[in-house]
Amino acid sequence: MLEKMIEMIEKNAPAMAEDLKSRLLNNPDTKSFRTLDDEALYEDIHALYSRIGYWLMRDPEKGDVKSYYMELGKRRRMEGFPLRELVRYLILTKRHIWDTVSQKGLMDAPAELNSGIDLITYLNRFFDFAIYYTTLGYYKSLGV
Amino acid sequence: MLTKRLVELIQSNASELSRSIVKQILSHPTTTSYRNIGENTLFDMIHDICSRFSYWLSEDNERGEVKEHYRNLGKQRFQQGIALPEVISALYLTKRKLWEFMTAERDVNSSLDLNQILETSFLLVRFFDHAVLHVTEGYEEMLKEKYGYVAPLEDPARFEEALAEKEKKMATIEEEPRLPELCFTKGMIRLET
Repeated sequence: MLEKMIEMIEKNAPAMAEDLKSRLLNNPDTKSFRTLDDEALYEDIHALYSRIGYWLMRDPEKGDVKSYYMELGKRRRMEGFPLRELVRYLILTKRHIWDTVSQKGLMDAPAELNSGIDLITYLNRFFDFAIYYTTLGYYKSLGV
Repeated sequence: MLTKRLVELIQSNASELSRSIVKQILSHPTTTSYRNIGENTLFDMIHDICSRFSYWLSEDNERGEVKEHYRNLGKQRFQQGIALPEVISALYLTKRKLWEFMTAERDVNSSLDLNQILETSFLLVRFFDHAVLHVTEGYEEMLKEKYGYVAPLEDPARFEEALAEKEKKMATIEEEPRLPELCFTKGMIRLET
């Protein structure tokens, strides 16, 4: 069942990425994202959604999760983003994935609830590290 | 509606859970600065979350007290010299312990409704999302106060400038000359510009 949820996210990646992009650009709490190239923003989100299975199953404490998000924090800091907007962006992304899975009715049957709990576990583990490393990358580049 | 049984289970195990969380924070490599904070102070703070779990998780408090409490915590940790990533890591270690406790209950207590676990998990995640966000806000306020650091895009003039730069870049891409169209007429190629 968990595989089915992951497959659904990857299959719907283009529409989901477009939807999240539009939410970010219209949200006053993430307004710095309006300064990014629209296409690049879409590609960033799409890259995560279209390979969400790969990302969720990685060991987030090391390897590419660590390096990707540390670099993201550093880059956005240099582009002038406030850190709280980056944290909010990652929280919104996590919720967007969760809301989409819920709305698609993939957790309606009792047997699917266990997979729902597993999906929250994986999503949380991944995004906790994503937020931690983004903050670390941002904070280190501040040099305080 | 809060999932009463599971929440009560956490609250009744608050002391044991808090001790275990404190132990982890004090020994974890990502939260080493917490060793400078008194163990009792740390215990009291975490115990407050666990013992009043239903209070903290209720939606009304998220907008009011949670926001205020965690903004202040961010400021306080800044003044204590604890780096923001460490503060965030401590919050996540706390969440993870509570999470493990809840999902372990799923395995040993078959009478617990999966819907309840799912709902409580969702509330737990939402609570810590807000906590992390508000701690960050409080910390950023102190960065401004102490070092005068404000993210450049927070300055309306810089923000407008960045938007104008983006527009200009997009316009340049649109204005790039198109390649001439090839028209095939009786075997001859005519270039139309």
